[in-house]
Amino acid sequence: MHLLAAELNPLGHVMDRNIIGGPDALLMGDPHGTPIVTMHMLTLLLATGLLLWIMNLAAKAITTGPSSEGNDRYLTRGRMAQLIEVITLYLRDTVVKPVLGEKTNKYLPYLLTLFFFVLMNNLLGLVPLLDLQHIVGAFLGDSHFAVIGGTATGNLAVTGGLALIAFLVIQVHGLRELGLAGWAHHLLGGAPWYLAPIMVPVELLGMFIKPAALAIRLFANMMAGHTLMATLALFGLMALSGMESWIAGLGISVIAGAFAVAITFLELFVAFLQAFIFMFLTAVFIGQLSPHDHEHEHAAETAHA
Amino acid sequence: MHILAAEGNPVAVQLLPLVTTVVVFGIAFFILSKNVWPRITKGLDDRDNKIRDEIKAAEESREQARAAQAEYESSLKEARQEAAEMISKAKNDAKAAADDLRQRNEQELADLKQRAQRDIQTAKQQAVTELHSEATALAASIAGKILQREISVQDQQRLVEESLRELQPLK
Repeated sequence: MHLLAAELNPLGHVMDRNIIGGPDALLMGDPHGTPIVTMHMLTLLLATGLLLWIMNLAAKAITTGPSSEGNDRYLTRGRMAQLIEVITLYLRDTVVKPVLGEKTNKYLPYLLTLFFFVLMNNLLGLVPLLDLQHIVGAFLGDSHFAVIGGTATGNLAVTGGLALIAFLVIQVHGLRELGLAGWAHHLLGGAPWYLAPIMVPVELLGMFIKPAALAIRLFANMMAGHTLMATLALFGLMALSGMESWIAGLGISVIAGAFAVAITFLELFVAFLQAFIFMFLTAVFIGQLSPHDHEHEHAAETAHA
Repeated sequence: MHILAAEGNPVAVQLLPLVTTVVVFGIAFFILSKNVWPRITKGLDDRDNKIRDEIKAAEESREQARAAQAEYESSLKEARQEAAEMISKAKNDAKAAADDLRQRNEQELADLKQRAQRDIQTAKQQAVTELHSEATALAASIAGKILQREISVQDQQRLVEESLRELQPLK
């Protein structure tokens, strides 16, 4: 009963689990020990490896070829490389440039890395690695066997790490661009000095809330999407095992399956959208701490809050 | 609720994955910034510049072609004008030459005619004179023979003049 219940828990698909060290770990399991390697860490590494490999191939295709190719050296061949090129071009010219202006080239490597890093992790989360391993595990006697998989960006620690980097980038940029005095003045948020008792705490909190919101937004979107998908998928199992008539169970599982497919497409969209939002808002926050017209920046801030 | 507790709390943040994320992201950023973004940016910028340069070059060459065409047309017009001038000049020249030739011919013809007339006149006069003197001598000898005597020079002179007078209308 416990096994079935655990299987029916939709969070099973989104939760991290210990691989080496810590409670229930595959290796060196210790109920009171601290985890050394968790599944999401491995997934993160896999996603990063894939990202580096794919981006390297894409860069080879996108960059200007040897002059022996004539005018063809300006062409990009291969669908993957073209897709990455279009995304990069769009992000650079349409998204980042209007926000950061002349600072675009300085922050572009970070922002592009951020976007593709998050995107890769989001997309890898849609690959049912866990379920494939569960199938293998079922033959080995452990239907919950899994070493790698899940959505790393559905882990608050991972998105928190990304938000921490964003926080550091934003604040270091602000201090360098505005200087200590300018940075302190920005804590007033453009209000008169006598509003400082209200504005300074609000702005100070905002400093931390903005990246925290980034972390929670990405985590919640990934977590919720996968939970929803798992829940829909489990409907079929619940119906088949729980209902008297197998015809009704089959009917419910077909409908639930169709919905799960639809939600998978939605998740595909959300994977891109959330990667974009994380990266775009980071760019906006960097732009807000640049020394130019304050009114405009804070208008943008409230628009995106 | 028991199951959830057993599975752990989804919003609990563990330090280990967080640090891992920061480190892994840092490594990814480092490698991509060294290897990938410069190449992609270079590819995009190179193509941008290439297209911009090509458009600029195309515009320039179109401008050049337009200028060349204008120049060609103006030179063609000039050449046509020149040719027309040359033709008209040649025509005039030819006409002048023809006129000149005709005039000279006429002159020559006139001269020739005049000379011929003069020659004829001279020949006629000479013939008349010769005839005259021949006739005179003949007449004198005939007359001498008839008279069987010598005619004095005065007579002879007189006779000659008489004969000449008679011959005058022959002239």
